[in-house]
Amino acid sequence: MNIHTYEKVWLVAAMVLIVGFIATITYGAVGPGIAMIDDEGGDINPDEINDDERFAEPGVEHVGGNEYEVAVVAQAWSYTPSQIEVPANSEVTFYVTSRDVTHSFSVVGTNVNTMVIPGQVSEMTVKFDEPGEYGILCNEYCGEYHHTMEGKLNVVPEDEFDMTELSVEADDEVESGNETTITANVENGMQEDLETTVSLEIGDETREEAVTVPGDGSEEVAFTVDSADLGEGDHDWTVTVDDYEESGTLSVVTPDGNESADGGDGDA
Amino acid sequence: MATSPPTEVTAMRNAYVDQFPDEARVIKAAFWSSFIALAIGGTLGLVQALHRTDVFRFIQSPDYYTVLTAHGVLLAITFTIFFLVGTFTWAVTTSLDRGVVDVRFTWAWYIMMVIGTVLVAIAIFSGFLESAPSVLGSELNADVLFTFYAPLEAHPIFYIGLVLFVVGSWLAGVDWFRTWLAWRSENPDERIPLPTFMVLTTTLFWYICTFGVALSILVFLLPWSLGITESVNPLLTRTLFWYFGHAVVYFWLMPAYMMWYIMLPKFSGGKLFSDPLARVVFVLFLLLSTPLGIHHQYLDPGIAEGYKFIAMTNTMFLLLPSLLTAFTVVASMEHGARQRGGEGYLGWLKALPWRNPIFTGMALAGLMFAAAGFSGMINAGMNINYLVHNTWWVVGHFHLTVGTAVALTFMAASYWFIPQLTGKELWNRSVALGQVLLWFIGMTFMSNAMHRSGLFGMPRRTAEPQYQGFDFEPAVGTVGEINMQVALGGVILTLSLALFLLNMIMTSIGDDSESIPDNTYAGTLSGAEDSPRILDNLKLWTAIAVVLVIIAYTLPLASIIDAGGLFGPGIEGVRLSTWVDPAVIESLGEVIR
Amino acid sequence: MSSKTEQREPEHVQTLGHEEYDPIGTAILIGIYFLILVLLWIFMYFVEFLGNGPTVVGMALTVVGLA
Repeated sequence: MNIHTYEKVWLVAAMVLIVGFIATITYGAVGPGIAMIDDEGGDINPDEINDDERFAEPGVEHVGGNEYEVAVVAQAWSYTPSQIEVPANSEVTFYVTSRDVTHSFSVVGTNVNTMVIPGQVSEMTVKFDEPGEYGILCNEYCGEYHHTMEGKLNVVPEDEFDMTELSVEADDEVESGNETTITANVENGMQEDLETTVSLEIGDETREEAVTVPGDGSEEVAFTVDSADLGEGDHDWTVTVDDYEESGTLSVVTPDGNESADGGDGDA
Repeated sequence: MATSPPTEVTAMRNAYVDQFPDEARVIKAAFWSSFIALAIGGTLGLVQALHRTDVFRFIQSPDYYTVLTAHGVLLAITFTIFFLVGTFTWAVTTSLDRGVVDVRFTWAWYIMMVIGTVLVAIAIFSGFLESAPSVLGSELNADVLFTFYAPLEAHPIFYIGLVLFVVGSWLAGVDWFRTWLAWRSENPDERIPLPTFMVLTTTLFWYICTFGVALSILVFLLPWSLGITESVNPLLTRTLFWYFGHAVVYFWLMPAYMMWYIMLPKFSGGKLFSDPLARVVFVLFLLLSTPLGIHHQYLDPGIAEGYKFIAMTNTMFLLLPSLLTAFTVVASMEHGARQRGGEGYLGWLKALPWRNPIFTGMALAGLMFAAAGFSGMINAGMNINYLVHNTWWVVGHFHLTVGTAVALTFMAASYWFIPQLTGKELWNRSVALGQVLLWFIGMTFMSNAMHRSGLFGMPRRTAEPQYQGFDFEPAVGTVGEINMQVALGGVILTLSLALFLLNMIMTSIGDDSESIPDNTYAGTLSGAEDSPRILDNLKLWTAIAVVLVIIAYTLPLASIIDAGGLFGPGIEGVRLSTWVDPAVIESLGEVIR
Repeated sequence: MSSKTEQREPEHVQTLGHEEYDPIGTAILIGIYFLILVLLWIFMYFVEFLGNGPTVVGMALTVVGLA
């Protein structure tokens, strides 16, 4: 073969370029520790997503420490959940699967981007150091309203994040003279115990009760309310736990007929 | 061959149509099929450029995906491959200096490809109908884009059409091999002429890579769309698609490479710098163009990272033939320029025939390909794919490769081919020169803007990249400015396309001319005699190519089948456009507006 | 093959064979291209890509954490 010297030099330079590219990519995997989406997520029958332990109730779960798992189900043309909230300084593993066709789960403006293929679970771990708000979009064509498929990922400051949920059970009305109960149910999604205070404001009274909600559990706090203390009429109440509030109105009504005679306690 | 009669009768015209009138007719038909696809597909491209940038929307967004499917299939498959079969038939007959064995066979595969195209087009364009007619028990529809990822399901005739088209191209390959074998029995000791060598190596990897898509369609997708099988494994059919899907880009690139190797030096006024290296390059394409398809699946679940790394290594090494090509082709141009009196380190560039639209078109196409080479290197990188995967960056990339390196080279080559095939002089050389320049300028705007927008996450394949919950945040410039560049580029490209078609039509209806140049291609500075004979051992290279494919694909395919089964876990077809409750569409429509 | 490849243009002023032709201009152009490729690659990988975090990282840390 009759190869010109320059061409030989270029051949060597081209090889150096190629090896340099492969070396850079390898550095990315070893140095910053970038991992590819792979077969770790396993497979799943799309018809059985609703029975799946992870995907039956998609959403954020606390694993422990600063580790979280987020299960997401993609389908034409939405994500469930569509809003995801995780704390900053966390390590979040996403599990994404599709109910119907091929989608993607792409966090805009980041390197978090995976195909979502029916039958497969995409698993990826991401460290969120800083708070931020990101859009999520589907970048694989998935049908005629593909362009409407989007979601939101909020990385909130660590001290603003919790996984507490408050629900309150209370009667709408109570007969004057009877007692009723307002029950606050505090759920704690974090693995650690949650020590907090549940407070009830009703009328001009505020009651507080300290409570320890076990990790990944819930605790009920029942406040007994005596209608006699309130008097007849509508009374607004508010139950507060940390930043969560639930409020309602309790009506104290006059008992029907002769039962009113039963009362008689002065309310002064 | 040295005594081929036409050279002795110098006064007589010796264009291709004079040498091979029968073949010229088939090639002309193939080129016109290609131009029609280009005209329709290109116009649809403008519709998209204006729609997704929100400059001018006159179709409903769901129809955008019908437009996109047609644009992709007509340009990436129909335009390129019809031009390829024409070019390759020209190259084989010209370089072997003999006609095809039986021109009826040539017509047969051409007609088969046309029928395939028509079936595919019927399925796709039915997507515009309010209620498409029912054929074979289901509504005509193929809003599945160029990649037809299951479980998006197209009408069976879409798959049947694709199969006919591909089988037609296989028969075209048989035609070229037959012609070569006939030549070889007459010239047992001769080296394979370079153009034929290029055709044969390209055809061989086409056979290897289309095996995957044929398997995907015939075993999985077609029976499934006909209701014979009930389910598919989406990851499997997707992997089989990409087994074919990257090699196909080299398939349509190879005729452009061939033009750069055997025509561009001639139009520069020189000779091909090195025949041996040209052969090495095509052998490398034969070896490496298939076992790397998984680089399109870097972000796919269900494929282990190791297989992705292997695909990346193969992809990166496939840069080598392209980098070698860059040197050889530029050196050949420089040779021409210096023979034309060019001097200095770079002053010779001025001596190149920039007023010749054929030369300028091909040279600008090559320049764009150098830029495309860079974005391709990024696409080849495994983990950096998180940044660009399925963004508009990728679209910018392949509008430089297939959309310019290939398309502009083909258009420039047409300015040479059509006179050769018709015996008529090019209608207007100035218009042709303006046309290739406009293409270059239009694509510079469009592709540059697309690349940039990919870097902030702007997705591809989207009718309305405007979201409710967030905005894109470009580091430099604005989304509006990028959209304007894309729309402007699209308009310029469409204008260029119109000028090209005008020139082709006017040339074809013009008068016969006696001043058509002879049908020749570039000579070589370092010829076939310098290249080792082993390069012509096609059996050896094919065997190695097959082994490489087996190494790269056996384990990933086995693990995909092992996990999801050959036919998947009960995944039925989804035809999204016939599947949705109208009320949902209405409410979604309200949300969008 | 000669009949197919012979080519004389009117602008042709000299004939250069493989031995006397030195593609120095090509070497310069390709050298510039090489530099552009290297610089753009470094920019794309280390600025555009690694600066575009958060990024998907390996599971190794998680496994250790759970253990």
